[in-house]
Amino acid sequence: MLAMLDPKTVLFLAAVLFSAGLYGVLSRSNLIMVLMSLELMLNAVNIALVAFSRHWAGQGNSVLGAHSGQFFTLMVMAVAAAEVGIGLAIIVAVYRRRNTADSEAASELRH
Amino acid sequence: MELQDILFIFCALVSLAGTVILLSQRNAVYALLGLLLAFLGSAGIFQALDAPFVAVSQVLIYAGALAVLFLFVLMFTDTRTSEDRKGLPRAVGSRANFDPAEFDAQTKKKRRKEGELPSALQAALDSIVLPKPLALVVALGFLLCFSFAIFKLPAQYDEFGPLPENYATGLYLPADEGAAPGTPATERVVEYGTTEAVSFTIFEGFPLAFEFVSLLIFAAVLGAVLLARRHLAPTPKAPEAGASAGHGAGHAGH
Repeated sequence: MLAMLDPKTVLFLAAVLFSAGLYGVLSRSNLIMVLMSLELMLNAVNIALVAFSRHWAGQGNSVLGAHSGQFFTLMVMAVAAAEVGIGLAIIVAVYRRRNTADSEAASELRH
Repeated sequence: MELQDILFIFCALVSLAGTVILLSQRNAVYALLGLLLAFLGSAGIFQALDAPFVAVSQVLIYAGALAVLFLFVLMFTDTRTSEDRKGLPRAVGSRANFDPAEFDAQTKKKRRKEGELPSALQAALDSIVLPKPLALVVALGFLLCFSFAIFKLPAQYDEFGPLPENYATGLYLPADEGAAPGTPATERVVEYGTTEAVSFTIFEGFPLAFEFVSLLIFAAVLGAVLLARRHLAPTPKAPEAGASAGHGAGHAGH
């Protein structure tokens, strides 16, 4: 039987998760839901990066070449954490000012 | 089928189920639980791809810290929008105290008005969001493009190659205390995906990027504190003449 754990299958799963996150970002009006879907997109990118890292390790790269995908995954995680911190702070600020977290209410970045 | 294949299939299904919950639930806390499920499934996928350190980081950072952060904001603020409130009784939709008796009465009244039997199906339909056609078209278009690109990948992507036994690092362990003089020092080797290998990559390969990310997180923490400060709340109009006169003098040049 064909092995399931091959690069194309993993990349396709990452593509499905990325598209699902994109759908969530485009369709929801609640800002928190938009941020959650954004996290799902970043997570899908992480899956693709780890799959590429595993692929290049199987192609006989050096230690740095084989692990740079995993290193980049860790960087993406750090950037995602920073992004969630800032995003949630912005949502709290919008909520304090407009009393709602609807993205329509935040269509202008002024008071 | 090997154990890793089974782990991958199971975790992929868990991830997809969590994604469906995230996208379909109207209630933000349920959606967050779906996101948590998707993150945990991704951690299992990392483990199946021989990346245990990234898998543990995923559970610690995403499923641990980020989910709690989201939950805090959901609990501190009533972030439901008009589309989320649909299907919830008014006592829950507004920020009034929850009264079970009133909740029951309102539910009954609503059902009598709609003139249909209280069914589990109706309740389930009320709690999910209907799909938006335009967003669906855009997302499916992206998926189509990705699938085409993956389909066109060269044949070396058909399966993962075998992992090497270990990697040479070029670092040498000091010789043992009791070793005879002249014994050659043993080279330090690391296995793929372990904490040792990833930390070697970070500190020998990309130390500058690591330092810059620490600066980025520091700036993000400062920015988050600044943005969420309470002074951004709408200030009540000051009735005191003295206070406004003092401000007026300061702003007279505008």
